Amino acid sequence: MTLILQALINGLMTGALIAVPAIGFSAIFAVLRYPNFAIASYATIGAFAAWWANTTLGLPVIPSLALAFAVTGVVGVLSEETALKRLRDNGALIVAIASIALNLVLENIVRFIFGNDMKGYDLPLARDLRFGELRIGPQQLQSLALSVAIMAAMFLFLRYTRFGKAMRAVADNPDLARLKGIDPARIAIVTVFLGAGLSGVGGVLIGLDTSIDPLTGYRVLLSVFAAAVLGGLGSIPGAVVGALALGMAEELALIVVPATYRTAVGFVAILLMLTIRPRGILGERAS
Amino acid sequence: MTEFLTNRRLLLAGAAALAGSSALPRVAFAQGAPIRIGTLTPLTGAGGPYGPVMVKAVKAVIDEVNAAGGVLGRKVELISEDDQTNPEAGVRAARKLIDVDKVSAILGTWASSVTTAVAPLCWESKTFLCTTSGADSITALPHQGYLIRTQPTTTLQGKKFGEFAIEQKAKRVFFLSPQTPFAKSQFDNITLAVKAADGETASLIYDDKKPAYRTEIDEAMRFKPDAIVFGGYTPDTAVMLKDLYRADFKGTKIAFGYSVNQKLVESVPAEVVDKTYMISPSPAEGSKAYEKLVKLIGVTSPDPYTTQIYDHINLVLMAIALAGDSSGEAIKNNLRKVSQASGGAKIDNAVDGLKAIAAKQAIDYDGASGPCDFTEIGDITDSKFRYEQVQGGKIALVKIA
Repeated sequence: MTLILQALINGLMTGALIAVPAIGFSAIFAVLRYPNFAIASYATIGAFAAWWANTTLGLPVIPSLALAFAVTGVVGVLSEETALKRLRDNGALIVAIASIALNLVLENIVRFIFGNDMKGYDLPLARDLRFGELRIGPQQLQSLALSVAIMAAMFLFLRYTRFGKAMRAVADNPDLARLKGIDPARIAIVTVFLGAGLSGVGGVLIGLDTSIDPLTGYRVLLSVFAAAVLGGLGSIPGAVVGALALGMAEELALIVVPATYRTAVGFVAILLMLTIRPRGILGERAS
Repeated sequence: MTEFLTNRRLLLAGAAALAGSSALPRVAFAQGAPIRIGTLTPLTGAGGPYGPVMVKAVKAVIDEVNAAGGVLGRKVELISEDDQTNPEAGVRAARKLIDVDKVSAILGTWASSVTTAVAPLCWESKTFLCTTSGADSITALPHQGYLIRTQPTTTLQGKKFGEFAIEQKAKRVFFLSPQTPFAKSQFDNITLAVKAADGETASLIYDDKKPAYRTEIDEAMRFKPDAIVFGGYTPDTAVMLKDLYRADFKGTKIAFGYSVNQKLVESVPAEVVDKTYMISPSPAEGSKAYEKLVKLIGVTSPDPYTTQIYDHINLVLMAIALAGDSSGEAIKNNLRKVSQASGGAKIDNAVDGLKAIAAKQAIDYDGASGPCDFTEIGDITDSKFRYEQVQGGKIALVKIA
């Protein structure tokens, strides 16, 4: 029993880490209708921006996170406008492939600036808290709290702000939104800024828990994509549910299958989901 | 341990060196196409800290040899490619080196997974391959003599890890490793050594692309180990060490020197990695070749792989000179004649070797990584190991044995 509980707790923690970039990925998909695989490099860029703020400027976690969000958002908008925007009319697949190429370019720019070596944040590491047989890390709790706060902020933004409503309108029906006087180009920029920024923040959260190197984002790309598909591509709450479900599934699977197959759990989850319910857990639109 | 330069600085230095090379005094070469040598080292990925320095060592030797008139009166050209510590990228780069550049030899493949993927391309195209990978399976491949390695086998390394754990009074040893071509052999040989002393072992093979390993650590802790051996590379081992610290593991930690390196020590809080032991094949510190390499590249204590690739390039160039021919086949047939000719003159660098060959002397090269004598299948016959420990954020030498 303890075994299963501990795995569930661990899964909740990893799931919450994956949820943040998954929201970004899903938001971009909802409004622009293509899967942006460059979010892997956005996560890496965010992780490095925060690392720089933390180690060079000596900023604590929250301001570093804010800086990472801003930097990655700007990088996301710039790459969207220069590289991907022109290709959008050619269909989702073309843009998706271009985003993979963009990912490689950005990853190597990070390499060129920061070198190839591993880096760690300048933060003390705390021992786990123990509750009887269960252990929970204070840092994981902090990351969990941060990602919950970010998700809540995102939810409020979509629900109550003009931009948020406009984003949802474009996601639901771009033609109708245009008739109502919403400028899709502006909404696209805001969405990409948010989506890339969130991926960057996700990269920082992952880095806080581990260490960072130019492949930080790339390593979690599959999990992020799986979480978004699982929850229903284009659904923001779906991305969260999908990430938590995937995190727990991966950890629970470790109890019965060898740890080498952990990544396979993500693939199997996608496969089952697409077979049984192609729209995903909370997906509304059949894409 | 080496103070690595950052890649950017290396890149700039490389660019400057390239720009400056045209200003070097021109050596008159006899007619003949240049001899091309390829390096296929990890400039990025888990092996990223090593590859650039390795290339630097090869370039330094080639520049010296060219300044002394080249080999067989022909200029030697270096083509450097990045294997990204990834078999697929390694194969692509190897194809380019073999098919487009038509190199005589490829030097320095680092990860065993990359070497395993690249080796067939080499023996099929009769291109000679020198590697620093340790997996037992590599020299067991049907390479027909087109492959040598300067890294001791995993069988030997596993045995050393097991014996060292026993020396540290460990009875229950747990092996944590990602899926690599040497994980099984490493664990089997640790087990042999530990069981011989009435100890117990268990292992867990993990997926090295995960942000956290808490559940894996739980499984390891259930075995109640008093020593944990890490089989991974730097990025995943760093995460493992952090998660072990959080889980309050108090036992002995033993890792490969290439994974717990200065970079890892700098990137995690000091208490996380403190008291960890590292084992690595030892370069022949104090040997003439080693001293020469230090002067040549200006790195105070070069890592084992840099010393090994320095030996690769020296051996290959001398084998070409002895054969009077730059084909991979010529290198294959003459390499052991320069590495271990019985009663040959002791040589520690290619420039002296080329002179000795011109004077019709038999030679026996002793390198920066060790004596460089090879068995029938391409393994080295003898190797020393270096035992180090992290003490207060510094890597301290425990012993060389």
